[in-house]
Amino acid sequence: MVAPAPIVEMKNIGKRFGGIHAVENVSVELRPGEVVGVLGHNGAGKSCLMKILSGAMSRTDGTIMVNGEEVALANPIEARHCGIETIYQSLALADHLDAPANLFLGRELKTRFGTLDDKRMEMEARQALRQLNPNFKNITDTVLNMSGGQRQVIAIARAIYFNARVVIMDEPTAALGPSETAMVAELIEKLREQGIGIFLISHDLNDVFDLCDRVMVMKNGQNVGTHAIDEVTKDDLLNLIILGKLPDNWSPRNLVAS
Amino acid sequence: MSGERISTCSDAEVKGRFARLWSHMNGDERKDVVQKFAAVFSLMALIVVFSVTSDAFFSVGNAMTVSLQTTSIALLGIGVTVVILTGGIDLSVGSVLALSGTVAGLLVKDGWPIWAAMSMGVLTGMVCGCINGFVVTRLRLAPFIATLGMMLIARGLALQLTGAAPVSQLGEAFGVLGNGSLFRTLSVGANGLPKVIFPGIPYPVLIMIVMAIIVAFILRRLAIGRHIYAVGSNEQASRLAGVNVNSTKMFAYATSGFLAGICGIVLMSRLVTAQPNEGIMYELDAIAAAVIGGTSLMGGVGTISGTMIGAFVISILRNGLNMNGVSSFIQQIIIGCVIIGAVYIDHLRNRR
Repeated sequence: MVAPAPIVEMKNIGKRFGGIHAVENVSVELRPGEVVGVLGHNGAGKSCLMKILSGAMSRTDGTIMVNGEEVALANPIEARHCGIETIYQSLALADHLDAPANLFLGRELKTRFGTLDDKRMEMEARQALRQLNPNFKNITDTVLNMSGGQRQVIAIARAIYFNARVVIMDEPTAALGPSETAMVAELIEKLREQGIGIFLISHDLNDVFDLCDRVMVMKNGQNVGTHAIDEVTKDDLLNLIILGKLPDNWSPRNLVAS
Repeated sequence: MSGERISTCSDAEVKGRFARLWSHMNGDERKDVVQKFAAVFSLMALIVVFSVTSDAFFSVGNAMTVSLQTTSIALLGIGVTVVILTGGIDLSVGSVLALSGTVAGLLVKDGWPIWAAMSMGVLTGMVCGCINGFVVTRLRLAPFIATLGMMLIARGLALQLTGAAPVSQLGEAFGVLGNGSLFRTLSVGANGLPKVIFPGIPYPVLIMIVMAIIVAFILRRLAIGRHIYAVGSNEQASRLAGVNVNSTKMFAYATSGFLAGICGIVLMSRLVTAQPNEGIMYELDAIAAAVIGGTSLMGGVGTISGTMIGAFVISILRNGLNMNGVSSFIQQIIIGCVIIGAVYIDHLRNRR
């Protein structure tokens, strides 16, 4: 089987703040329908790397290719044009707006008179949200009154609605209870089925083993290892996260082979 | 007997309809209805109380006076509401009003046609608003500081330009905007003196209503309005969603300055004199009107209809207390209590 061409290739990415290297010479690629976990301590540079990809932060070095074409990604709008959507952990939604307004924020549907087409936005939002979660009610409530899971559904629906090809998720399950975590896992599976590539920033190794195809571990701004999930154990990953290297006697654990 | 039955029947039907409507609403819409109802109800209560305590209060003439007094608070309040919705504050509107009015007055003195001079006055207000917006978005100063600075600058400029003296003898035409009214009908009585049949709708009231409708339309029906609420709710999320936060804020401050400019020329026209000392502390009335009307100083929550109600509450309170001979010192105490009470009720409602 030939692996499909990557949607995103990040090559030798670097970000300096004065003399400090937040990200140094990091390369990673993402294929359609693939979930790549991005692991590391706080301050390891994983959020920084993902902000560069989402256009929220500029890079000092390196190139990014989307579908084989080099892109600048100077701001979030440009990243969206390239089909890159980001789902932030806590900053995602405007609390006093309702679900449709949040879904279409910055990209509102308009009538031919240039006014907001709230009816159509509500209809489309209802459809998009029901598709992800059939039990989604009260979509015209302000999101302030919604649960963490519902908020996550809105954020994910936003990505799908606008035909994202790459979704960056920053700790999507950090603030959720067990049932809602399961729901997000289901959503990720749905995204994967649609051929969307996902970068998943996570602290939860269980999540990583449940959801990811590959993992990339960062330490001190550098990529200390990218592995298929079935060739490493939890201990291997902890070694990478804490020490920045695999155990000396390491050999790939291959579940498929065994 | 049959009449009684019909009345109970329709009563029940009305109740049923209300219950159905109510059950269709979600939590926010219900809260909104309760809040609006409470605000309108307190406004009605004020009117009833003052009508009982004072003979002169409930009359066409006094209604006219109250609406005229409301125009300044409402025009400034609408602008300030837009700024507060983005999570900012505008302390400069009272001074900008004075500067705009004096600029218009001085230009008329200089021989400019009235319409051109007044347009320049409004433009001056808008420029002040844009400067506020620039300082907030580009120099990244807190809105409180930026507009506090503008409050002093605009007032100082108005005083400097006029030598701190009122600019008078502007001609009758200068007073039309502030003193004229639409559909005013007179008839000549038997004694040969004109008799007012209908006092008409004063132009300032008309301007207030038109501005309120336009701004409410912008906030509810246009993308920029939605972005104003979004920026006030969560600035960072809005930025990440691709909203141009800086231009949204710029629009809000420019609108506030524009409305302060309108208020300035209307007020000076009413006095037929350009007063550099006019509008001192008006910004606080404007903010109070917004807050009484349910606008949250944290941003993201508030409506123009609420601010209009708030403006009427303040001016009816003042007017009614005046009619009852309550001293202006006591009035301040009462209005202060009303502001604290209104915000506390709002706070309780949101805490739930």
